[in-house]
Amino acid sequence: MLELARYGARRRLLGMLALSVGLSAFSGLYAAFFPSFTTNLDLAEYVEALPPVFVEAFGLRAFNTIEGFLATELYQFAWVILLGLYLAYSAASLIAGDVESGRMDVLLSLPVSRARLVGEQFLALAPGVLLVNVVVAAVTWVATRAIGYPIGTTDLVVVHALSLPYLFACAAIGLAFSVVFDRASVAQRGAAGTVFALFLLESLLTSTDYSWAGAIAPMRYFDPTAILVDGTYDVAGAAILTAATLVLVAASQLYFRRKDVN
Amino acid sequence: MAVIEVDSLTKRYGDLTAVDDVSFDVEAGEVFGFLGPNGAGKTTAIRTLLGMQAPTSGGVGVLGRDTTVESERLDALADTGYLPANPQFDAQATGREILDLHESIKGGSRRDELLELFDPPLDRDIRAYSTGNVQKLGVVQAFMHDPDVVVMDEPTSGLDPLLQARFNDFLRAERDRGVTALFCSHVLSEVRRVCDRVAVIREGELVAVEDVQSLLDRSGKVVRARVAGDLPEGAFDLAGVSDLTTEHVDGVTRVSLTYTGGMDALVDELDRYSLLELDVEEAPLEDVFLQFYGGEASA
Repeated sequence: MLELARYGARRRLLGMLALSVGLSAFSGLYAAFFPSFTTNLDLAEYVEALPPVFVEAFGLRAFNTIEGFLATELYQFAWVILLGLYLAYSAASLIAGDVESGRMDVLLSLPVSRARLVGEQFLALAPGVLLVNVVVAAVTWVATRAIGYPIGTTDLVVVHALSLPYLFACAAIGLAFSVVFDRASVAQRGAAGTVFALFLLESLLTSTDYSWAGAIAPMRYFDPTAILVDGTYDVAGAAILTAATLVLVAASQLYFRRKDVN
Repeated sequence: MAVIEVDSLTKRYGDLTAVDDVSFDVEAGEVFGFLGPNGAGKTTAIRTLLGMQAPTSGGVGVLGRDTTVESERLDALADTGYLPANPQFDAQATGREILDLHESIKGGSRRDELLELFDPPLDRDIRAYSTGNVQKLGVVQAFMHDPDVVVMDEPTSGLDPLLQARFNDFLRAERDRGVTALFCSHVLSEVRRVCDRVAVIREGELVAVEDVQSLLDRSGKVVRARVAGDLPEGAFDLAGVSDLTTEHVDGVTRVSLTYTGGMDALVDELDRYSLLELDVEEAPLEDVFLQFYGGEASA
């Protein structure tokens, strides 16, 4: 078991290492800028001047603390938006890419069930996601200590740990697109577009009467600002995201099992 | 018991009928050719046989298992090798990585032996492979787990003539070991070298299932010759000659004919003339279709 997952994970290792380095640089850069931001600018005043929707969308609170600053700049932006979109996009090519290129024919001739094939391709993303989180968490821990504004270790670990169910939920959305569409580019655009639309739905409607609609957005269940600034951990949200991931993966397996691969 | 069973198989895509009520069996230890022009439905039929798509109606089975049922299909696939037309592998991977993956899933007891016959550059990325090398990798993965049955779609396309001959020898040896093979091709000459029986498919319909020898006897040869001087009256008036054309230019006569008679009689006839050039080759498949099955051969 897991031969396909191991193979897929190995093939992604280099890309995920590059992503880890890139996001680490991002984290280091923000940490390096923070001391001059917080001493030379009145960040509280800056936040007050921004439109409320924007403040809500990026969880701008306690922006003049290292926790609030990184929650917005690194975790809301790089994790919730960038990494979420990247995983949806990346997962969307898992099955569709093999079907489109004709590689799926050889894979389907192996004595491996369709459900296992889909499941293992999805699992192949996991080591890379873990790698990015471990590397960037370590870099952030070190960087905030280097600048003399140390971020709490527990909150840092929790923000990364609770981001995992969120990131896998985004990947599961990509996987669902990947089994439905036979062209990788269509699946990728659909998946990334959907995740971004869900982000807008949640952030734009949050202060309106229609905020209930944001309940289908994975972003509702992972709030880096709440974790880092308030120290509140939404474990129920993580459970909802995990359940949604499992449902999407199972649905993708079921769909692909019945599908004619052309 | 038949190793491959195709029973009234029909596959439609919307209004298009790709395979229409096709039935044939491949017996154990037989190399069975599946012959037809491109687009005739060969690939659709074998992909349905292997479960990549579901039949619209009819049944398919490999090694006594119903391949439309996943649990049964997986049993059959463990002992089946498949070489798709124009096989595709992960371009970023090396050949070795692909074979390692396949070996970890289905086994690779014959991998080394096959790599001596068909030797793709294992440590190079597949994106740098030539078509022939990709095909060699495809052959190795299809046979490496010592399958009882092998399904191949245009297996020698992309191989140079030397390797084609090596592949055909290999396939004959496999048959002698008891391996059953289904071999799709649009090249009659290839099929005749390795196949025992052949099914001819055209526009999704099976037009004949024949012994290869009888198909060849009926399809005949195309004979082209350049003869010094004029041909006498009654030249090439032999049983089995058809489509005779002659053209006299500058003291040389060009002759072209299709011949289905005995070889001795043809050689005796040719011996009467002073030959400048002689070509004898198998009739193209399209002509065989026209000759025996009527209608226009679709290309």
